[in-house]
Amino acid sequence: MKTCRENESLNSLQRCCPPRAEAFAVHMPAINCIFRVKAKSRYPIFLGVTLAVIGFLLISICGCGGPKYFVRQKTDIDKIKKVAVMPFENFTSDGYAGEKIRRIVITELLLRGIDVVEPGEVTRILRDSNARSLGSIKGTDLQNIGKTLGVDAVMSGSVEAFGTGRGVSVSYPEVSIQLMLVDVSSGSIIWSVQHTVGGASFWTRHFGSEGITLSEAARKAVKEAIAALF
Amino acid sequence: MCDEVRFERYSRMKSLKKKFCLLIILVVMILGAGCGGGKGTPGFYVNPDIDFSFIKRVAVLPLDNLTNEKFAADAVRQVVISELLASGLVDVTCPGDAIAAMEKLRLKQGQSPSAEDIKAIGKALKVQAVILGAVNKFGEVREGNISAPEVAITLMMADTSSGSIIWSVSKTRGGAGFMARHFGARSETMSETMLAVVREAIRTLYKY
Repeated sequence: MKTCRENESLNSLQRCCPPRAEAFAVHMPAINCIFRVKAKSRYPIFLGVTLAVIGFLLISICGCGGPKYFVRQKTDIDKIKKVAVMPFENFTSDGYAGEKIRRIVITELLLRGIDVVEPGEVTRILRDSNARSLGSIKGTDLQNIGKTLGVDAVMSGSVEAFGTGRGVSVSYPEVSIQLMLVDVSSGSIIWSVQHTVGGASFWTRHFGSEGITLSEAARKAVKEAIAALF
Repeated sequence: MCDEVRFERYSRMKSLKKKFCLLIILVVMILGAGCGGGKGTPGFYVNPDIDFSFIKRVAVLPLDNLTNEKFAADAVRQVVISELLASGLVDVTCPGDAIAAMEKLRLKQGQSPSAEDIKAIGKALKVQAVILGAVNKFGEVREGNISAPEVAITLMMADTSSGSIIWSVSKTRGGAGFMARHFGARSETMSETMLAVVREAIRTLYKY
């Protein structure tokens, strides 16, 4: 004889496992259906956990998000048609890192349809302005340089890292840049971005696959930084 | 007792055991990875009498370089400027303006400005506060056979109307994490560590 409580649980099991309900009720000692009930109720949890793990792995491997940047409110970026790119401050041990990044920035701006003043012209104006160092050029000086060159904005920046770092068992390229756009009409910073690219990828670390080179990392850093604005 | 009920109890016990095992693994992982955070003290100072909403524009002065890396202070300063702007909390003057103002006062890099100097800089640059500080560590640290980047900074904000410090924070970040040490997970590069430590420091300003 089965108690009422047992019958209740039987009914609920029958609802859950209709194909085997009859056999269960008459012959089987419940185990078969209990396991099926457990398996069935666990399925969405298992699926959720699997999806979360896959998502986490994908994010870990591919990385996520772009650079964090600032754009001054009420700034019409579309109005910027011509830009002067100043020589970049170089905070790395590679003496040419600043100039290398500057050239890539110029190329990237031109690719996006922004007109850029010849780098030599900017250097000439800078020489004439008797600026002591790149770091001490004031906002008003940048404004004057921009006006002299007839541009809408002046881009300045710095290179914080440009080289090869060493991980646990692999070496990897590392490039870190900071770009800033100063509006010639107001003399204030209208856009600023800090971006870093590098580090050993998942595939390089675990499977020894070839990672990106230093030049590729530099191009990637500039491309992603400028894509944040133009 | 019915078989059914016995099996239900058996399966409940089994699931409890599993949960207990998972809990133990979780505790071991937390202990292994470390869960950081100071107890009781917030790890930064904010003058409670100051209304931060009146600070609209700041100047970031050159930071003191207390490391052997020649450009550590300059690199961190650029990141601080960029991150302050990106946070949307305050407007920042052009980096050259702050240096020009310091040169005008005949202050050398690494020389801490006095309260009077801070007031003068504030007047010259039309800012309500200045950011100053130091880079205490910028380099690789060795942990067993693994080397990992480490960056330690101190940032302060001084009110230009009084010349007093109204915010101060010290942050350190670096070293190979638990996952990197034991499972070969990706560890941060020097630039990423620098960016992260500056972000962590600036985040302490968010509430105010």
